[in-house]
Amino acid sequence: MGNCCSDVGGGMAAVSGAASSAATGNQNDAVDMYLRSHGIHGLFSQIELSFSATSLRDRDVFSKSDPMVVVYIKERDGAINEVFRTEVVLNSLTPTWIAKYTITYHFEVVQNLLFKVFDVDTQYHNVEVKMLKLEEQQSLGEACCTLSEIVTKPNRSLTLDLILREESVSSTHSQHHGKLTVHAEECFSSKSTADIILRCIDLESKNLFSKSVCGDGFIFSYFLFVLLSGILVIFWCKFGLVLQDPFLVISKLAESGISIPVCKTEVLKNDHNPTWKPVFLNIQQVGSKDSPLVIECFNFNSNGKHDLIGKVEKSLADLEKLHLGREGENLYLPTLVGHNYENKILNSKLLVDKFSETVKHTFLDYLAGGFELNFMVAIDFTASNGNPRLPDSLHYIDPSGRLNAYQKAIYEVGEILQFYDADKRYPAWGFGARPIDGPVSHCFNLNGSSNYCEVQGIQGIMMAYTSALFNVSLAGPTLFGHVINRASVVACDSLSTGAKKYFALLIITDGVITDLQETKDALVKASDLPLSILIVGVGGADFKEMEILDADKGERLESTTGCIASRDIVQFVPFRDVQSGEISVVGALLAELPTQFLTYMRRRDIKPST
Amino acid sequence: METKSRTLEITVLSAEDLRIDNKPVKKNAYVVVSVDTFNNKATKVDGEGGSYPSWNDKLVMEMPSQTRFVTLQVKCKGSRGEKTVGLARIPVTDFVAGYSPEACLQFLSYRLRDPKGLKNGIINVSLRVKEPLQDCSLQAAGGGGNAAAIGLGIPIDGRRDYGVVTGIPIWTGYPSNSLF
Repeated sequence: MGNCCSDVGGGMAAVSGAASSAATGNQNDAVDMYLRSHGIHGLFSQIELSFSATSLRDRDVFSKSDPMVVVYIKERDGAINEVFRTEVVLNSLTPTWIAKYTITYHFEVVQNLLFKVFDVDTQYHNVEVKMLKLEEQQSLGEACCTLSEIVTKPNRSLTLDLILREESVSSTHSQHHGKLTVHAEECFSSKSTADIILRCIDLESKNLFSKSVCGDGFIFSYFLFVLLSGILVIFWCKFGLVLQDPFLVISKLAESGISIPVCKTEVLKNDHNPTWKPVFLNIQQVGSKDSPLVIECFNFNSNGKHDLIGKVEKSLADLEKLHLGREGENLYLPTLVGHNYENKILNSKLLVDKFSETVKHTFLDYLAGGFELNFMVAIDFTASNGNPRLPDSLHYIDPSGRLNAYQKAIYEVGEILQFYDADKRYPAWGFGARPIDGPVSHCFNLNGSSNYCEVQGIQGIMMAYTSALFNVSLAGPTLFGHVINRASVVACDSLSTGAKKYFALLIITDGVITDLQETKDALVKASDLPLSILIVGVGGADFKEMEILDADKGERLESTTGCIASRDIVQFVPFRDVQSGEISVVGALLAELPTQFLTYMRRRDIKPST
Repeated sequence: METKSRTLEITVLSAEDLRIDNKPVKKNAYVVVSVDTFNNKATKVDGEGGSYPSWNDKLVMEMPSQTRFVTLQVKCKGSRGEKTVGLARIPVTDFVAGYSPEACLQFLSYRLRDPKGLKNGIINVSLRVKEPLQDCSLQAAGGGGNAAAIGLGIPIDGRRDYGVVTGIPIWTGYPSNSLF
């Protein structure tokens, strides 16, 4: 039974709208480092979830409910952990909460979220929302979904029905307890990148006899004098003709005044007028276009102690002005004069040869623009898998329900990709088997039909797989060329209709392929299509030859006609049983998919929205 | 006989790992695109790229219907004149009757071979075939079957790609592993 009245004092307390914990820039770097050190290299961005609800139950007697949302994450092992609470909205059955929850979006992992809405009864004025005891509050309902479901919706908003837990078990029909709408917004949309070419002229040689000389050089030249004919060395030092190997370090100034390096150019050997390769700076990474940056020019020293030649303090906007005005900025060097540091202005100048800003759309932008990832699967039915009726076969269907390697791979990849496909109809093929009354086929429809190749949902793939297993006789050899060509035709057909689709073909195989060159030919032809090929190797075979197909580990693929793959579309990963909690191997397989997608779109200059 | 020609828009993007006498090319590489012996165009010279030059130069050429190959020759302007660094032959069937729909922008990369036939780098291009306006009715029937009507070749074994073959000359005395 609800409270009589609401806590008006609590309702008047201020709530900050921005995500409370995220500190701009720095947290991103720390999160980046943490994730990379744990081997997660995928494309990830920060998403802000905001909440609103309609038609909530009224639990209070004389006023309306005072609702609050609590967000939980469901881990892979089933544990449910609370991660966030919004503020309490006073006296409303259609609240819109201000507090937003920031979560990192991972493409290659299923992120299950659970939302519970509570009516807060206790007095919450002057009490932090975190301290409220949930057991004392009344539940208005709960709902769950995955993060990918939210971001793939056209306007990135997902509306869920709230259900009450006690009733879901006992009642035969669900009562309406209102709806919760979750909206996702990409923060740090990392869109604008500045492409800069920097150049220096008249870099001053370091005079060995000046105060800031490094001791090593002096001692070295002394021994040189002793060992070789001395006069030549003295002349060499006197004229200060020391070799310069300059490079630049660009740092941003944190609020505390310390500088944090953001990027570093390559080292140019022996160059007094160096022009470095273009530097790409993410404008969000440095803060904003007006954030002060320090650009320092160092002389590379192989012992790691690089000498500072000079530095300059400019923001990105200042660099743009230098580029437009075609002027240079003199470097200065803080030198010790007496007891103080003075900035000695040098003759060397920094020039900006190129400054252009480009907008780089993110993967989520394309999803919001209506692009889809279509999943296709091809399964190896060669005899090397073993007789499916025997327990040691890779295709053995365990009556106890334990999934075999093929089923696990389909399930793990499918459960992530299914949200990115609108109609959930997946083409599924088998290869290397003899269907009933037929010759060996290297690309037959898994559903047994001769007309269409699609099945409905991941369940459809599982069912077609098990039925195909007992309707075909395993044969061989292992050839990929046919399924790759078939998938290429599907991708090409979609291209000609102008659909916004990108295809991912999952090939699950137990052995090394027999037609390496034919596969390479098929891959080279497919490399210009909106298609990525994910190959999972199951069983204990030695897959070293398969790694040739993945250009990450080798050279670009070349066909028999001299044509070379225009981009790397293959990802190969051997599938091993992974304990729960570890980063799934399949995760590593999928992590590159958004990058391959973006490479395809950016190369053709295809923008997300029409 | 119909002498139909199509317009080829080819953008020569970049090249990788160019060498002369086994030493990386220093500078001044450029590409000559030829449709036949008389019909050719050259890109600008890349003075800075060295052995990984990039041009991003778009050339528009007329491609007569009998064309079988588009030839790309990478040359280098040296102090002693020009040298051919490498050659690549793109069969027209690679981009006309391939997977990509007609008039679609295609990105292709090819292996370059030097005058002795040895591998010498990779060239990256993007191209698009445009139909001249007066002949669009012929193209409505579709690419593959139409080509036979124009006399592009006799289909071998019913294949759509009309069996264009690229041959690589083999000289005796060269170790076989250097050719592949």
